[in-house]
Amino acid sequence: MMDQVELGIIRNALYAIAREMKGAMMRTAASPIIHSGGDASAAIFDADMQLVAQGNDIPTMLGSAVISTAESVRAIGAENLRPGDVIASNDIYTAGGSHLPDVQLTRPVFFDGEVIAYVMTRGHWPDVGGQRPGSYDLRTWDVFGEGLRIPPVVLYREDKPVPDLVRMVMTNTRDPQSRHLDLNAQYSGVQVGDERVVALALRYGGDTVKAAMQAALDYAEARTRAEIEKIPDGTYRGEDFIEPIDAGGELLPVRVAITVSGSDIEFDFEGTAPQVRGGINCPLPVTLNTTWFTVKAITDNTIPINQGCYRPITVKVPEGSLLNASFPASVVSGTTDTAPRVVDMLISTLSQAIPEKVIAQSHSATFPSLFSGLDPDPERCKRLGRGFAMVAETNLGGMGARPDKDGVSTVRVLIGNAGAQSVEYIEHSAPMRVEEWTLVENSGGAGKWRGGLAARRRYLIEFDEASCTVIGERQRVAPKGLFGGGEGGTFSFIIQSPDGESRQVRDKSGLATLKKGDRVTLTAAGSGGYGDPKDRDRARVASDLANGYITADAAEALYGYKEGV
Amino acid sequence: MMRIGIDVGGTFTDVVLVDEAGAGVKATKVPTTPAAPEEGVLDGLRRIMALAGVRPADIGFVGHGTTIATNMIVEGKGAKTALVATRGFRDVLEFRRGSRHDRADLYDLHFTNPDPLVPRFRRFEIAERVGPEGQVFAAPTPEDLAALAAQIRESDIEAVAVSLLHSYANPAHEEAVATALREALPGVFVTTSSQVNPEMLEYERTSTTVINAMLGPVCTSYAKRLIEAVHDEGVPARPLLMQSNGALADPSFVTDRPVSLLESGPAGGVTAAAKFASILGLDDVIAGDMGGTTFDVSLMTGGAPTMRNHGQVQTHVVRYPTIDIESIGAGGGSLVWVDEGGIRIGPMSAGGDPGPACYGRGGQRATITDCNVVLGYLDPGRFLAGDFALDVDAAHRAVETDIANPLGISVGEAASGARRMANALMAQAMRLATVERGFDPRDFVYLCYGGAGPLHAADLADELEIPRVVIPPFPGVFSAFGMIVADQAYEFQLPVNINLDQLDESHVSAFCDTLLAQARQELEGSGFRVDPDKASFRADCKFQGQADSLEIPLASNTPRDLDAAFKDTHMRQWHFIPDGRAVSLLNLRVRIVVRPGEWVGSGSSVRAEPVGRRTVRMGSAARDLPVYDRVSLEQGTSIEGPCLIEEPSTLTPVPEGWRVSVGPLSALMLERISRQ
Repeated sequence: MMDQVELGIIRNALYAIAREMKGAMMRTAASPIIHSGGDASAAIFDADMQLVAQGNDIPTMLGSAVISTAESVRAIGAENLRPGDVIASNDIYTAGGSHLPDVQLTRPVFFDGEVIAYVMTRGHWPDVGGQRPGSYDLRTWDVFGEGLRIPPVVLYREDKPVPDLVRMVMTNTRDPQSRHLDLNAQYSGVQVGDERVVALALRYGGDTVKAAMQAALDYAEARTRAEIEKIPDGTYRGEDFIEPIDAGGELLPVRVAITVSGSDIEFDFEGTAPQVRGGINCPLPVTLNTTWFTVKAITDNTIPINQGCYRPITVKVPEGSLLNASFPASVVSGTTDTAPRVVDMLISTLSQAIPEKVIAQSHSATFPSLFSGLDPDPERCKRLGRGFAMVAETNLGGMGARPDKDGVSTVRVLIGNAGAQSVEYIEHSAPMRVEEWTLVENSGGAGKWRGGLAARRRYLIEFDEASCTVIGERQRVAPKGLFGGGEGGTFSFIIQSPDGESRQVRDKSGLATLKKGDRVTLTAAGSGGYGDPKDRDRARVASDLANGYITADAAEALYGYKEGV
Repeated sequence: MMRIGIDVGGTFTDVVLVDEAGAGVKATKVPTTPAAPEEGVLDGLRRIMALAGVRPADIGFVGHGTTIATNMIVEGKGAKTALVATRGFRDVLEFRRGSRHDRADLYDLHFTNPDPLVPRFRRFEIAERVGPEGQVFAAPTPEDLAALAAQIRESDIEAVAVSLLHSYANPAHEEAVATALREALPGVFVTTSSQVNPEMLEYERTSTTVINAMLGPVCTSYAKRLIEAVHDEGVPARPLLMQSNGALADPSFVTDRPVSLLESGPAGGVTAAAKFASILGLDDVIAGDMGGTTFDVSLMTGGAPTMRNHGQVQTHVVRYPTIDIESIGAGGGSLVWVDEGGIRIGPMSAGGDPGPACYGRGGQRATITDCNVVLGYLDPGRFLAGDFALDVDAAHRAVETDIANPLGISVGEAASGARRMANALMAQAMRLATVERGFDPRDFVYLCYGGAGPLHAADLADELEIPRVVIPPFPGVFSAFGMIVADQAYEFQLPVNINLDQLDESHVSAFCDTLLAQARQELEGSGFRVDPDKASFRADCKFQGQADSLEIPLASNTPRDLDAAFKDTHMRQWHFIPDGRAVSLLNLRVRIVVRPGEWVGSGSSVRAEPVGRRTVRMGSAARDLPVYDRVSLEQGTSIEGPCLIEEPSTLTPVPEGWRVSVGPLSALMLERISRQ
């Protein structure tokens, strides 16, 4: 029998390595979305490409990495890999990717002449080519319009970059200098991971490390099964509606039947709308991850996360549907905007079985807008060493109310974990000014426990001309409350020109050309409440009112509360 | 003349007294009095003077470290504070940039989000705007300033933080607001972000400034009461306070910047370690402080502790120069428990009260200390010089119930397994602390202290293949030494935000002059004499486009040298240098030493004779080992392991394959002589 103490030690060490990999990557990346937004992930896999440890990163990236690591290794062939090789990939249909901007590096870890593990880093690149700057255009004919497809390719051979290939990738991005820095950062991450896993094998022996990985998977599975056992057996059905690309289009149904049977849980998405033209479809890895995230979130959070947690889960998704896109469907916002809506649906559906473990619905749009164009200020161009400026706005919306707590305001929720950018950094680095950044009153759904509030930002455009991409999920379908809780506020994107004329971008996929002097007001969605607002503690209503989280009208209409009464 | 160092911890206040004439060192512990910490300090002061037989008039120096600031934030007992922000931006403090950096677990839907440091109804706005280059888009009007002051007066607050956008580039508006508020609100603590932390990123700067404001009133009145109490006792010395950066400062400086006290306590130990190591001629040292609740790791390279310029307290960001300490929940009092995955350590702790089961004060749960008692490392009759009898049976019962029974193994195996697990966690923390900064732990000497530190020293060194270990005298109260031996020094910073390739030597010199002039103005205004030769400059640099900077000592004013030094550090830490990327100089920092610290203390005598033997379980075997009394070992003594070196506050096991000797300053030096 393996030494229990040693197993624990090795398991801890693997998580520490993943943390170190992410740290190495974040501290050296060029893209603000990676270095301060933290939109990057690192993980360690066993020799069979099973996820055994991950950093405290972006759940949606890590879920997809489960598929893409295996696909990357299979495509090249484990037998063709040598120490110091690094596979790059981002493709949806040949590499198990989530969307093209998420670029993964995968590196085999050799010990005693054999692969004992794989390490991977994944980063969101702000541009991988495609139709529009920022590679986030939903209005594409197919995946080819979304940017450069990188099937699994060996980008570093024995720790030397393959120069032609690197040049070819960089040539297809709009800011190759910064992308090069991002690539280097990800490479640092996998290199650190390789070194550390090898050191672990030297210390404890390769076989012991391999055995510890298997034990960690079995342990996570056993504990997850024990948790699923506690959920009442049965089939729970749910339905929700994803917003189409055009404001005038029909809402797209997504449906699920969740069947709990003993320690197994099945998610069947039969009845979901067929895939559509445009980048709101989910590739299968993204949908798988919504179920994995949900199960992880409703089970004991002390279970260390690895692929063992996912073994009790089976997933059925109709092929060619919105949630299992077939080649060559576009998918760019599936992972960032459709998937969070699916997670909301899954969690709401499970409120039928485990009301004490679920939360009300949340905001979901992750990158509501991208601004880009030539920087008209030669001084700044010189200072920053670039001529083209781009700002990827990360949205701050509400997280739904919980069974015994309010929701959380202005936070990354569910499967995303990228932070908002600093106002001062934006103004320092791009021809834009932020005129306001404030909480949106009444955007948290009313309830015994109130939903978290959203934020609103107003920009003044100082580009001569800027391209602006808007991704506005949750304009039509508000985040729902649970057990009598109210809906949260919805998303909006309003452009005001200097002559005072104002227009709202109502399409989910909006494209706008902005001129100098335009003002853009972006309001994120809030989140749903939990329980009847009439049951809310009066002191909490009074405090919400004093803080301006709710207005006096809302206090009276929704909570039956009058100040001073 | 006598020097006294006082370290006020959460449970105990440690006091050491050193006779500068070399007549020896005295140490004692008294209970901390959280409601009025100066009472515990006075108690300790009287106790140590009685112990040493000295009079208050003989005390020429009092250095003091305290956890008062950290505890106030952790316990939510900061001052009632208002925030003044640029119109449209009062919620920046609550957004916290929206990421979930506070969350240990991203899959946890039920996490508790901390309340904003200042509730929204106490966050005020003023119509004004400055741009990133310091250009003024809109200035605050006198009417608005008056209205703001009136509004704040009505809300009955104790402190105000003023944090306006881009104030690092132009502080004029913040200063105007602060002036108006100070006039209108006498007695209220007013602090500006451009004074506390003049650098880019509004959330981080605002959070730092707000925490400064929350600490201000209490720290000011504490410093005043402390000075009075010490004075009333007849002690002529004015107490100095330990800052997070490891330097002592006059209370007048610290009360303007109480945020500098957040790591006051731990900084004392690291500072003592750095001084101790540099006297012994050790350049690269990894220091480990194993106390009751945590294991704290820090690094010294080239004789100076590694610093960082940002951190978190209760998940709220604080940017202030701080000794870089990695802390994990593996102290002597950390609970040991078992789940399906095996043995787990901490982060919960039995603390000082009730403490480990073996303390016999009602603690029932097994701790690392209990495991050490079961294994025979701690002698129940001699712990803390016999002042404190250990309950071996209670330790045995706790280990049996909490670890041995659930795993179905013997009590000895259980204790040994828990000790291995704790060692692995501590070694991992030490490994991360070195490798994440691009160093190899094998190149370091391990200097360990804290009551439980020496007990695990050689094992940790073995884990990390570190060949040498140093244990200073009085490891159990070592942090209090830091309060005696630290430099008295002050730090200031200046934002720059310019690429190095656009600077020449004269620019850098001009920045240094500006920063030095600012520092002198403040310090000389407070009556300090500033010697420009005692000013050392550092530069925060990054590649253009990166977010995180590295701090580089400024060896010369030539930008090319700085560029090269930055790239060296970047390469060591991150293994690459991007092509064609300019290097940006973000901030310049200066540390001005007003009075350098020096090591004082030590002493000792006679010959190496075991004072007894004890049976200890090392690994799987029980061994009967000789026990030596540390205070009787004279310099130059050398003993081969296995053996045990005992002293009042702790015990140092010397395993087989190691040799222990007594070096200068009464240091215990452990050296590996062969691989097992």
